[in-house]
Amino acid sequence: MSEPRPLIAGFLASATQFPDRPALSIQSDQWTYADLHQRASDITHTISAHAEAGFPDLVGVFGHRSVAAFSGVVSALLGGGAYVPLNPTFPSERTLQMVERAALTWIVAEREALADLLQILQSVSRPVSIIVPDFLPEDGSISLPEGCGQHRLIGAEDLLSQGLVGLPDIDSDQLAYLLFTSGSTGIPKGVKVKQSNVAAFVDVMVERYGVNENDRLSQTFDLTFDLSAFDMFVAWERGACVCCPTLGEKMLPAKYVKSQALTIWFSVPSTAIMMKRLRMLKPDSYPTLRYSLFCGEALPLDVTEAFQLSAPDSIVENLYGPTELTIACTLYRYNQKTTAGESQLGVVPIGYPYPNMTVLIVDETLHEVAVGEAGELLMTGPQLSAGYWQDEEKTAAAFVVPPGKNEVFYRTGDRVKQVSDKAPLLYLGRVDNQIKVQGYRVELGEIEAVLRDVAQADIAIAIGYPEGIEGAEGIIAFVSPSAIADKQVSAAAAEHLPGYMQPRDLIRVEEFPLNANGKVDRRALLNSYVKQGG
Amino acid sequence: MDEAAVKLKLKEWIVERSKIPVIDGQFSYDTNIIEEGYLSSLDIVEFILYIESLLGDELDMEELEPEMFTSTNTMYDTFFATV
Repeated sequence: MSEPRPLIAGFLASATQFPDRPALSIQSDQWTYADLHQRASDITHTISAHAEAGFPDLVGVFGHRSVAAFSGVVSALLGGGAYVPLNPTFPSERTLQMVERAALTWIVAEREALADLLQILQSVSRPVSIIVPDFLPEDGSISLPEGCGQHRLIGAEDLLSQGLVGLPDIDSDQLAYLLFTSGSTGIPKGVKVKQSNVAAFVDVMVERYGVNENDRLSQTFDLTFDLSAFDMFVAWERGACVCCPTLGEKMLPAKYVKSQALTIWFSVPSTAIMMKRLRMLKPDSYPTLRYSLFCGEALPLDVTEAFQLSAPDSIVENLYGPTELTIACTLYRYNQKTTAGESQLGVVPIGYPYPNMTVLIVDETLHEVAVGEAGELLMTGPQLSAGYWQDEEKTAAAFVVPPGKNEVFYRTGDRVKQVSDKAPLLYLGRVDNQIKVQGYRVELGEIEAVLRDVAQADIAIAIGYPEGIEGAEGIIAFVSPSAIADKQVSAAAAEHLPGYMQPRDLIRVEEFPLNANGKVDRRALLNSYVKQGG
Repeated sequence: MDEAAVKLKLKEWIVERSKIPVIDGQFSYDTNIIEEGYLSSLDIVEFILYIESLLGDELDMEELEPEMFTSTNTMYDTFFATV
């Protein structure tokens, strides 16, 4: 078998071929491939020099859109390891959980987020080395607060500059990243995505979109959202530039596309919906776009039509895929003549599997359904990830060998249908209690578990509301009476859940309506809430 | 509506929408609403639509700049002061 190709090979080839082309653009700053390669190499060398047991398997990256964060990602891969994205906007409790579950001993952090990280690490007894590449000597001396004596801080001054790091040696199972997603029992699941998974995905994408060194890709996804892996690795594979929006540009996406002269747009449908509401999808607004891509939520047909008109020279595509199948695994190309006829319920199809990926639509017994029937989508192929971190039970439940098959398939939990043999896959909804809120995957069970815990209540029901075909805008919660006051419950929930998962409204319910199965009737709860002018 | 009334309405919208508590001692009409975490960039979209409803008129999206939404005062000055 041939040597497995490291994911970072594409970046290195681009650094050799296009050292002076921009790899990264943030605000009015730009970093070339040579620059980013050097910065990442310094971090890799520094970690290697200090790590007695060899380069760590996992390197945490605690940052937002900063050169420190992106350097951290590249440095992990150059070292032959994987990165674990952490998010400064997440509640501390959640970050602490991720740091502990991954047993991180190395974290690359941006200076702005350092204080928050140190506060979190006060609760970590295991020594952690934190590299803050943007902590410059003129920023003062870098010192550890109380309770962090077991940790080590390394600023810019102490980085080892020993030339550029070349292609690492990896084995075929080497992970690219470990990404935590919402878990239904209250504990986030860590998805182990291999470098070979991402490489397979990237190969398809750069070919399909003819990505080249003149491309400028949007960067609308946080590092903790796996779609950010498209932004980085598809761009870097072919010498293109990753263009991060400023905070202001995030508010006004129209400005972002124009001022950065983006050629490839990739966002959740919610952003396009927002743009349509703000009358930012006027015809011919975005002449620079070659591709307009959407993923993460159901894509409404009317918004797609409007986006096509606003970016007339772009090809519009709808991508679909859970983290476990590496970023996206089916896609659909919008066509002004035929898409309306292929769509259902005002939603654009999710289309056809990526090359080399196999689709299986099954019933509850995991047997294939007849063409035309709805069923759960299962998929396998080179983008099938390695399962859940340290959770064989959950892995076995989701990664299965269906009856009559020889390979492991991933159960997406999504209901789909193909109206006929050659027709595109239509997304029909979930089989369980997972919903999308602003494109983020949310297990209602996770919110409910947190609420039951902090409210010390027996029953907590979380519902996405207001609902759209594209998912929910937010969460409302119904909780049985308890001794803990509502305000305290909300405040405590905010310490465990990211913003988009925090309930916007908390309603106490004495007696919950039940359905015929004896389960809480969520529809009835929601109806009475809406009726009372919720 | 006079200046005080408009600013109060803007503040009420922020209080209604914000995920973090709006405490009188900490929140003023000069408070940076995004940096301090009261609103996210997605909230600003809805805020723009609310401001349009208060003005009874559509805003020119081309003319919008992020700085206009820094605080209650900047929003008043940008959108309502000249009305």
